[in-house]
Amino acid sequence: MSTTKENPVIAARRAGRNALDESAGKQLLAAHGIKVPQSRVAKGLADVDAVMKGLQAPVVVKVMSPDILHKSDAGGVKVNLRTATEVRAAIEGMINAPKIKGARIDGFLIEEMAPAGHELVIGGLRDPQFGPLVMVGLGGIFVEILKDVSFRLCPIARIDAEEMLTELKGAAILKGARGTKPASLEAIIDVLLKIGGENGLLMQHAGDISEADINPLIVSDTAAVAVDARFILG
Amino acid sequence: MTIIEQFTPLFAPKTVAVIGASTKGNALPNVFIRRIREFGFSGDIYPIHPGATEIDGLPAYKSLADTPKPVDYAYIAVSGAQIPAMLSAAKGHVRFAQVVSSGFGEVDEGKGLQEELARAARAGGMRLLGPNCLGIYTLRGRVTSTEIGPKEVGPVGIVSQSGGLGTDIIRRGLSRGLKFSGLVTVGNCADVTPSDLLEFYFADPQTKVIGMYIETAKDGRRLFDILRNAKAAKPVVILKGGRTQQGLAAAASHTGSLAGDDRVWIALARQTGCMLVDTLDQFIDTLLIFQALAPRPQRATQKVVLFGNGGGTSVLATDCYARLGLDVTPFEDNTIGALAELKLPPGTSITNPVDCPVGTLQQEDGRVAEKILDIIYAQGNPEALVMHLNLSAFVGRTKPEVLDNLVAAAMRVQEKHPGKAHFILVLRSDGEPALEARKREFRDKAVALGVPVYDEMANAGNALAALATFERFKAARA
Repeated sequence: MSTTKENPVIAARRAGRNALDESAGKQLLAAHGIKVPQSRVAKGLADVDAVMKGLQAPVVVKVMSPDILHKSDAGGVKVNLRTATEVRAAIEGMINAPKIKGARIDGFLIEEMAPAGHELVIGGLRDPQFGPLVMVGLGGIFVEILKDVSFRLCPIARIDAEEMLTELKGAAILKGARGTKPASLEAIIDVLLKIGGENGLLMQHAGDISEADINPLIVSDTAAVAVDARFILG
Repeated sequence: MTIIEQFTPLFAPKTVAVIGASTKGNALPNVFIRRIREFGFSGDIYPIHPGATEIDGLPAYKSLADTPKPVDYAYIAVSGAQIPAMLSAAKGHVRFAQVVSSGFGEVDEGKGLQEELARAARAGGMRLLGPNCLGIYTLRGRVTSTEIGPKEVGPVGIVSQSGGLGTDIIRRGLSRGLKFSGLVTVGNCADVTPSDLLEFYFADPQTKVIGMYIETAKDGRRLFDILRNAKAAKPVVILKGGRTQQGLAAAASHTGSLAGDDRVWIALARQTGCMLVDTLDQFIDTLLIFQALAPRPQRATQKVVLFGNGGGTSVLATDCYARLGLDVTPFEDNTIGALAELKLPPGTSITNPVDCPVGTLQQEDGRVAEKILDIIYAQGNPEALVMHLNLSAFVGRTKPEVLDNLVAAAMRVQEKHPGKAHFILVLRSDGEPALEARKREFRDKAVALGVPVYDEMANAGNALAALATFERFKAARA
């Protein structure tokens, strides 16, 4: 990601936004050394050919709109697209989707799909008394139903990141239970430190970011990739 | 000025002013004057009164600014509205003012008054304790707001946001053998917060273990930073009120501020090595173990041997300790073999737990314990040994000195194997008055020898688990 671009937090603040859109969120993550999928923004159907030339299929297309909070629910996400034709068809479908029709559309994020792996969630929030906190959990039902998450106050040290992972009830799953490949714990710890560590994202932007949510972080046996990210400012 | 220098006038005041004492001698501040005199306070006491010239035989002064010497500590218990003007009139003449009175930030209509109070304290050039608290207990200064308390200074430093709980800590601590380096109640924390006292206790050479009762940490980030920078140099036990939604609502009306989220406190404990407890009993139990036993990070407590009378008690305790992450596992063959050679009476279990009926323990008037424990220490290699005696089983069946001999035997084994195992005594009783009296007397003796004594196995287990947690934290982060 280019370092000459303006800091996305400052840019969003100046534009009067109370959140970073997905593209800006990933730009912020990339600036902190966290892997994000290669992506380009297509303003409209006319850009699709040029954008697809720089990307490795399969790709995913996501609508970019300040009015749409849950893109998947609105029909604003299409995965596993292999050609420019498929991408254009997906975009046309989105433009006409009932929940998207009336919304302001900034463009379409076209992004390489991350290789398969374990789904994790890494989050952050600012406590009014204690300041920034970082959180990690296993994705899906583990976070949503079982609330199997672990919190620490920022900044965390390496040992804190390690203990956060061992504290999860589902920790064994990351080591490769039931025939699945193990997740790279090193890669997760690295992301946790880049988010919640001494000079991490949350400490650097403690005054601006009230909530952060990387969901999912897809972790293979070698790498961790932030596939979606939301940052609430305030 | 160092933190020690800043707080010395509070912990060892040479001059004490009292606002609210009446000429009739029956108000709370009159009681305070009597208490500190009885406690041996040898400095000057200055009653402040708008009209009287003398209170409780002491010359009275019109204002905090009029006392012959500057005031190290002012104890204030009058109706709230008149206090701000009294503080701002002090003009740098007062170091610490403790406002016991309530009716401030803990109620909606008092929030403005509390702000006014804090401004007045700043204008008067003093640090403010409270409002809505009970006072202090400090042996080095011989000042106390509690009726009774230990007469010997010790290693436990306390800060409490609740005044009543502060008194409970002193009184219960006294009966359990806790000895304090100081206790300060800070109530609504309009100025001085628990973090300030934490910083002092970390720096204070007299203090070896720190206890905090906290309902809210408005300066949570600072609390975290102090704990983190201290790197668990001293054990810190936190009794946190308001960890549930309902408790939080109760705390809001008690100290007038929002309590932090429970998961923050759990994170704080995991990251800084402080220990969170849920009840006053656990708080005192945990402080007691750290007062008595030096943590051993290089040999963190894991393997525990239970030794005493009561088979069911041993089984239940084994379950309880396992749930707490401690191991009560059977000895290896060589240890069992060596114990078997003692040919103890039938009914004695010589694995671990070691269950010895009274018939066994009273052999050689209790000195048999020395042989058993010597083998356990030499070959069993436990990190901790819990000796438990059910006193009701001894009464009427053994000579009175048997109990003393059992503990004396244990102490000799401790000396023979220095640094081998933490030694803890559990004295179980049934609440019958004569037995309770015997237990108290016996407990005092054991406490005087530096042994932490508990009422039940679970209390000892919780305290041991806290000690183990602290030791592991130090070991992992040294």
